[in-house]
Amino acid sequence: MSQVFDSYERQYCELSANLSKKITSANLLDGEQKKQKISEVLGGFEDGEALIRKMDLEARSLPPSVKTMLLAKLREYKTDLNNLKTDVKRITSANTNQAARDELLESGIADTSMTSADQRARLLMSTERLNQSSDRIRESRKVMLETEELGVSILQDLHQQRQSLLHANNTLHGVDDNIGKSKKVLSNMSRRMNRNKWIIVESVFPFHFSLPQFFTSSAGFLLGSEFEHPCHSLVGCS
Amino acid sequence: MSDHIARGEDFEKKAEKKLSGWAIFGSKYEDAADLFDKAANSFKLAKSWDQAGAVYVKLANCHLKLDSKHEAANAYADAAHCYKKSNIKESISWLEQSVNLFLEIGRLNMAARYDKEIAELYEQEQNLEQAIVYYEKAADLFQSEEVTTSANQCKQKVAQFAAQLEQYQKAIEIYEEIARQSLNNNLLKYGVKGHLLNAGICQLCKGDVVAITNALEKYQELDPTFSGTREYKLLRDLAAAVDEEDIAKFTDAVKEFDSMTQLDAWKTTLLLRVKEALKAKELEEDDLT
Repeated sequence: MSQVFDSYERQYCELSANLSKKITSANLLDGEQKKQKISEVLGGFEDGEALIRKMDLEARSLPPSVKTMLLAKLREYKTDLNNLKTDVKRITSANTNQAARDELLESGIADTSMTSADQRARLLMSTERLNQSSDRIRESRKVMLETEELGVSILQDLHQQRQSLLHANNTLHGVDDNIGKSKKVLSNMSRRMNRNKWIIVESVFPFHFSLPQFFTSSAGFLLGSEFEHPCHSLVGCS
Repeated sequence: MSDHIARGEDFEKKAEKKLSGWAIFGSKYEDAADLFDKAANSFKLAKSWDQAGAVYVKLANCHLKLDSKHEAANAYADAAHCYKKSNIKESISWLEQSVNLFLEIGRLNMAARYDKEIAELYEQEQNLEQAIVYYEKAADLFQSEEVTTSANQCKQKVAQFAAQLEQYQKAIEIYEEIARQSLNNNLLKYGVKGHLLNAGICQLCKGDVVAITNALEKYQELDPTFSGTREYKLLRDLAAAVDEEDIAKFTDAVKEFDSMTQLDAWKTTLLLRVKEALKAKELEEDDLT
């Protein structure tokens, strides 16, 4: 039975080689000839798929030891066929951009040396960025410390101002008291002044009976009030 | 400007005439004082400081005769301010007069303030010893008026100059005192680590390693947060470097601290002294070996 499988296998190999040859030639060609080749290739695909199905049936009917090996081979052939199909799709795509893109991506994944250089560049960039950010952090720390010092000196100034304000407050209380006292003194003085004025007026134009008696008493009043009290209260204030 | 000078001289002559002439009882000094004041003002506008200062002095004499010491003291202070621009020695002498008068009257606050001015003038002239004397006077007066912040400021200056003049023990005591007082005050407690750092640097200058370690422990007790600060790390590293007499370590620690916050001139001078002492010790050792 494996003979049948082998014959199928041989057929499939021939077919796939044929198809790949046709695909490369179709790639080079263009226009109508391309389409022709592609239709041939598509026909070849169908044959290939039929062969694979037959091989699959054969493989399953065989004993297990051989079966696994044959199934593995079969899987390989299937992927091979799929690759051929994608190649064809690429060629037939009207969008050249898409074709170029597929090529780019395929080659990018396949090429390992390029990826290592790319990774190296990326790692260098990230290291540099980390260095930059640590520099910036250090700068900001410096600024923060300077700000802290500034804040401390501002607090000291505030403390000083607080003390001057408190002192001024106390002094103003004292001033308030003194002003009250001087107000009383002045009102006293004005009262006595008025009284003396009236007394002198009355002594010139006597309204009352006993002139000299009143005169002596008013004189005593004059001397006593004016010179004693205001002077004492003034001394007390200063 | 010449207009002001002419006006000033005019006023001055009038005032002199009033003084020398005979006038109604008592008012001649007041008038003269008034005229002197105007004269001094015009001289100040004309920017002829010497003349202004001279007139202020005469004004002060008038006030003294009038027994108003307060006015006289103020006039002396004004004279001193005028002389500040031209002749500093004169200015200092008049400020002293003014301070004495204020002390007599009992206005300690003003006296302390003018003492501080005198000290600042001496500081400008780089006469540090005199400056210390006057700052101490000012600090005492401020203390008696219970204006602790100004007192602390003056004391700080005293400590600064004392350390520059190598009176380290005094400086250390002052700084520790200030730190202790500032701890209780919510506003000032953020400055405590600065004061402790200064005290620590003075300890290093003294060169006594045991004392330094004791001091560091004491400061930690004073202020629990001190041990977390960069200042404490610096002091600890410097103490270790002095102990091991390792100049490279010393320089490294200083450079690290400097990279974060610039060290001011005073600290730099003192640390330089410590470094040179270290170098000298190393040289000595080399000689012995």
